[in-house]
Amino acid sequence: MSLSERRGAGIRWAVAVLLVGLTLGCGKEERVDPTETAFAEFTKRIDDFVTLRNRLADSVGPLDPTGTPAEITARSARLANAIIAARTGAKPGDIFTTEVATVIATLIKEEYTRRPPKVIETRGDAQEELPDFVPRIDTLYPTTYPLATFPATLLPMLPRLPEQLEYRIVGRYLIIRDVEANLIIDFMPNAVPGVE
Amino acid sequence: MKPLSRIVLAALALWLPASAFAQDVTLPQRKGSVRFAVIGDAGTGDKQQYAVASQIANFHKKFPFTFAIMLGDNLYGADRPQDYRKKFEVPYKPLLDDGVEFNAALGNHDDPNQRFYKPFNLGGQRYRTFKKGNVRFFVLDSNYMDPEQVKWLEKELAASGSDWKIPYFHHPLYTSAARGPEQELRSILEPIFVKYGVEVVFNGHEHIYERIKAQKGIHYFVAGGSAKLRVGDSHLGDLVEANFATDRSFMLIEVDRDELYYQAISMTGKTVDKGVIRRKASSKPPLPPSPKVTASKARVKPKTTAPATKPAAPAPTKPNPSPM
Repeated sequence: MSLSERRGAGIRWAVAVLLVGLTLGCGKEERVDPTETAFAEFTKRIDDFVTLRNRLADSVGPLDPTGTPAEITARSARLANAIIAARTGAKPGDIFTTEVATVIATLIKEEYTRRPPKVIETRGDAQEELPDFVPRIDTLYPTTYPLATFPATLLPMLPRLPEQLEYRIVGRYLIIRDVEANLIIDFMPNAVPGVE
Repeated sequence: MKPLSRIVLAALALWLPASAFAQDVTLPQRKGSVRFAVIGDAGTGDKQQYAVASQIANFHKKFPFTFAIMLGDNLYGADRPQDYRKKFEVPYKPLLDDGVEFNAALGNHDDPNQRFYKPFNLGGQRYRTFKKGNVRFFVLDSNYMDPEQVKWLEKELAASGSDWKIPYFHHPLYTSAARGPEQELRSILEPIFVKYGVEVVFNGHEHIYERIKAQKGIHYFVAGGSAKLRVGDSHLGDLVEANFATDRSFMLIEVDRDELYYQAISMTGKTVDKGVIRRKASSKPPLPPSPKVTASKARVKPKTTAPATKPAAPAPTKPNPSPM
C-alpha cells in the first residue's frame, strides 16, 4: 500500500470513529446537577436583589465612618425604607425558592450530623441568648437582639453571599439579612435541625 | 501628740487604704514601649461599666497608654445614638479627652454598623489590621468568619514580618467557662495562627478573666469581664493558668521589644494577675536585664513567666497601612 493510500485509509478510520462517537453522544441526555442548577438560580436572585439595593443605596447616599451615631442609624433606616418600598409584594421564598431551600436544608442537615456533640451544643448555646421571634420579609432584625454567631464551618458550604448580605440562624430559620439596612430579605423555615 | 507624730499618723492613714488595694502599676514603663488597655464586653451602660471605666482612667494617669482594644459587645441592647453616649462616650470620656484611641472588635451583641462609628476605628470594615510600634494587631469578626475573612487574615499574617502578631476577637478559642470554647472557630484559626507565628490572642465573650496555658505556643487571654460578670465561671486546672471571676476586670499591656508584660486589674483596682511573655530572641541584639515580674497571689498557679513562643522570622518592617 502506497503512502497516499495509507493516509486515505487513516482518514477514513478517523471519520468513522468520529461519526460513531457523535451518534452515541446524541443518544445520551446531558446530566444536570440539581444542586448546581438550584444554586445558579439562587445566585441570580441574589444578584438581582443586590443590583436593586445598590441602586437604592446610591440614592440614599454613602455611609462613611462618622463620629455621629445618629447619622449611622438614620442612613440605615433610609436604606431599609427604600428597599421595603421597592420590594412591594416580596414574599418568603422569593430568593430561597423551593428547589434551593430543599438543597440547602439537606446540606445543613448533613453538615450537622458530621459535627461532634460539643460543637452542636455550642451552636445551640449561640441561640440561647436570642429571644424567640418569627422572621418576616422586609422587616428589621430586632435591634435589641444579639446576632447569633454563624457556625464557622457551615458558612463555606453555603452559596457565597456578597458583602452587603449575610446569613444568620434564628431558631430553626435561616435568614438572609441586608447588613447595612438591618433588613430581613428572605428566610427559610426548618432549615436548621432542632438542637436539644 | 507631737506634730511630727500627727504627720506620721496622717500619712499612715492615707497610705494604708491605698496599699490594701495594691493599686500599683506592675508594668515596667520602658521608654518607647507599646502600651494599651484591654476592655471586653463592656457596653452595658450600667454602674459596673462606669466603675471599671473610672478605674481604667485612674490607671491611665499612672500608666499613660495611648490606645485601648475592645473585645466586642461594645454596646449591649439597642444601638441608638443615646446608647452610644451612655455605653461608650460618657463612661470613657476622661480617656477620650486624653486622646486615648479605641480599637473595637465586633461581638455577638454588636450591630455590624458599629464599624461606621469613627471612635471605634474600624474604618467601615468588619475586620482590619493596624500596627503600633513593633506590634501588628488583627481585629477579627468572629461572629461571621466567612472564607473571605480567613483568606484575608492569612494574607495579612504572611505579610506581617517580624512584628508581634496579636489577633483579637470576641469568641474565645480556649476557656474553662461553662459555655465552652468556640471549637469550630479554633479548627479554622488555630492552624493559621500556628503557621504564621502568632504569639498572643485576646478574646472576650466570657464574663471573667482567664489566662490560658500556652496552646501550641500561643498565649490566650479571656478578658470579657469589663462590665458583666459570671461569678465563679472559670476553673484553674490543666487549661487555665490564672483567673479572676469574683469581680469585673480589665487589662493593661506593655510590649517592649521581645517582652509583653500584662497586668489584670479588678474593678476596685486590685492587681489580680501579672507577668511577662517573652519571645525567643530574633535577630535583634540581646535585651538588657529587665525587672522581674512575678505572679500575683490571687488565684494563680505558681508558674507565671510563660514559655517563649515561636521565633518570628526576621523581615524588613513594612510601612503601616491605613485601616481597611
